[in-house]
Amino acid sequence: MNRLHPLSAVTYAIQYGFLWLWVPIVLVLALGGIFDPISPAWSPIAAPLGFLAGAAYGIAYYYRFEYGITPDTFDVASGVFARRSREIPYGRIQNVDVRQGVLQRLLGLAIVSIETAGGGNTEASLNFVSESEANRLQDQIRRRTAYVKEQRRTKQRSANEGEQQGSQRPTEPDADSSDADRTGAVSGAETDTPSDPTAVPPDRADRTDPDSTPVDGEEPDAERRAYASEPDRQRRQRLFDLQARELLLYSFTSFRPAAVAAVLFVFFLATDPIIDLLVATAQPVGGPQEIGEGTATNYGILTVVSMINGIVITYLLSVAYTFATYYDFELGRTGEDFVYERGLLQRYSGSIPVEKVQSVTVTANPLQRLIGYAGLWVETAGYGPESSGGSQSAVPLAEQSRVHRFTENLTDVETPTFRSPPTMARRRYLVRYSLVAAVIVAAVFGLAQVTALEGWYFAAVVFVAVPPAAHLKYVHIGYFVGENHLVVRSGFWQRRTTVIPYYRIQTVSTRRSIFQRRLGLASLVIDTASSRTFFWGTPTIYDVDLEDAREAHTAGRKRLQSALRERARDDDLGLTVDFT
Amino acid sequence: MESLHPRIRLLWIAQGAITAIVLGVVLAGVDQWLADVPTAVIAGVVAVGLVLGIAYAVRLYQVWQFELQNDALYLERGVVTFVETAVPFVRVQHVDTQFGPIERALGLSSVVVYTAGSRNADVRIPGLTPDRARDLQDTLRELAVESEADDAV
Repeated sequence: MNRLHPLSAVTYAIQYGFLWLWVPIVLVLALGGIFDPISPAWSPIAAPLGFLAGAAYGIAYYYRFEYGITPDTFDVASGVFARRSREIPYGRIQNVDVRQGVLQRLLGLAIVSIETAGGGNTEASLNFVSESEANRLQDQIRRRTAYVKEQRRTKQRSANEGEQQGSQRPTEPDADSSDADRTGAVSGAETDTPSDPTAVPPDRADRTDPDSTPVDGEEPDAERRAYASEPDRQRRQRLFDLQARELLLYSFTSFRPAAVAAVLFVFFLATDPIIDLLVATAQPVGGPQEIGEGTATNYGILTVVSMINGIVITYLLSVAYTFATYYDFELGRTGEDFVYERGLLQRYSGSIPVEKVQSVTVTANPLQRLIGYAGLWVETAGYGPESSGGSQSAVPLAEQSRVHRFTENLTDVETPTFRSPPTMARRRYLVRYSLVAAVIVAAVFGLAQVTALEGWYFAAVVFVAVPPAAHLKYVHIGYFVGENHLVVRSGFWQRRTTVIPYYRIQTVSTRRSIFQRRLGLASLVIDTASSRTFFWGTPTIYDVDLEDAREAHTAGRKRLQSALRERARDDDLGLTVDFT
Repeated sequence: MESLHPRIRLLWIAQGAITAIVLGVVLAGVDQWLADVPTAVIAGVVAVGLVLGIAYAVRLYQVWQFELQNDALYLERGVVTFVETAVPFVRVQHVDTQFGPIERALGLSSVVVYTAGSRNADVRIPGLTPDRARDLQDTLRELAVESEADDAV
């Protein structure tokens, strides 16, 4: 078993020290109020004691945290008082991410997180390990996952052959892995010697591997050096680089809701100086001299100018955030994994096994569609480091035609010819948005009753927006029932075109609300294992004719079965790694 | 197609009644502390809530059906939004039988089918006798094992 980087002992000590600092202070203050002999004046003495105890706990945490690579699982044992030991089988690992903040990059440290499909949390998080150790772990786990996969395939293949020839004994991975368990779980050491040469992954048969010879727990240092000095051994093949032009276009055309939250947060933190600043900026164009004096026109100008300021600042923040996040984005492949790297201040790198990809989505907002660009995302079942859950950006932004070609190469889907829902659906949206508009007008009317607002009926202009909104929603809905895939498109502001291979379908549901039943419409919900997130719902074909929905429902079910049979026979991934 | 046990209506009616009573208590609270609400209105709201609850329970029972088809578990349910769901046996991760306190008092039990999908909580068959629930659980488990697919999630 390995320990984390020694510097993490320091950070844990400081972290827990400051956390525990408050315990005696709160205790002394609370008890001092109740019992006479305890005085609140003790806190200056009690606080350092709490800090020391916390620091001791932090150091103990460091010494009690161990992780290691065993032949079958990645193990993590942690906890000072309550111990937890966790074994994660390689076959279940969804992705391995490496994250580095600015300070960590200066110190040569990194945080490694390992995700599986289950649960809403990261299964194992190592903060911190050294940079080279992070690379070694990422590489080792990746190769062992590939190895497990290869073994499973060989076993299956030889089982198939065994059925035909009758005598051949299938390779038994269990046998040599239990051998390895007896030899002891030595980190990074390849203790199992596969009896079957075909079970050796292709990328390790052709080179001398320092970790194919059993090493003691003390020796990985040499191995780490070897990793640091030979980055090219990872054999990364580049698939896509985000060019400067694309990065800038992406930064300027996409918007991050997080920017709104950040601006609001800063506003609440420093309300007074910000209001003063806003008043000062509005003054030259006719805003009030100070809050509390000035006419209604002055206030109107102040409101408009402040709103423009707010929007511009939020937008610029969003641009800066996107720029910093996707700076130097690189997508590559190693073996059958996608590996990506990105970030200006905080560097992310992660790997996604191709066989874990559930669906592929092309996104484009109105601005991006205007300039003919789009982005490509892949969805896995685990939770990613981003707020978008199990969705990873494979190509943040590229020309639309390129993205479409990538999608077709990656999933092998034919160019879709989209079908639209019946025009009846548009009538539904017309009614729906009219109701929304009516609510807005009613709200303004209510406001006019309690404040001095005049001319509430001008709010009725929102009804002008209803027909175009309904039409735009309608025209962007489309679906395509392909040979091996279902393609679902929807959304005007963030148009998402999701390609779902039939073999990834989990459940299919036809939904009809009372309004839809009256119009003879239905929505089809296709659930996959990729986690549903706050922003991205489950892929749904909205408001198609009931018969079409039923047809797609049956097609999805039938083709799931046939696709699974085919896949079992051909051992086909269904995805092409070299999609660019 | 198989229907649920008729006693499930009692459970749903009880749930509706609880909602109606809670609503009545909230209104009584409003009457006490905020604004005057006539007692007749409170009684009316509770009565309407009860009637709606009963109607909903009866209708839901009429609509709720499920069936084991050759490749999937097929369910039909929903009063306001009618939903037809197919859960392919290959996708079944595990199957639970569950029962809450009211269900236990009524001698009923539910089967919950888990898939790797994100809407897994949707697949719940309530209102089965404990024997039928165990039976269904066993059948589903066997079918799931039989049709196991070696694809990775």
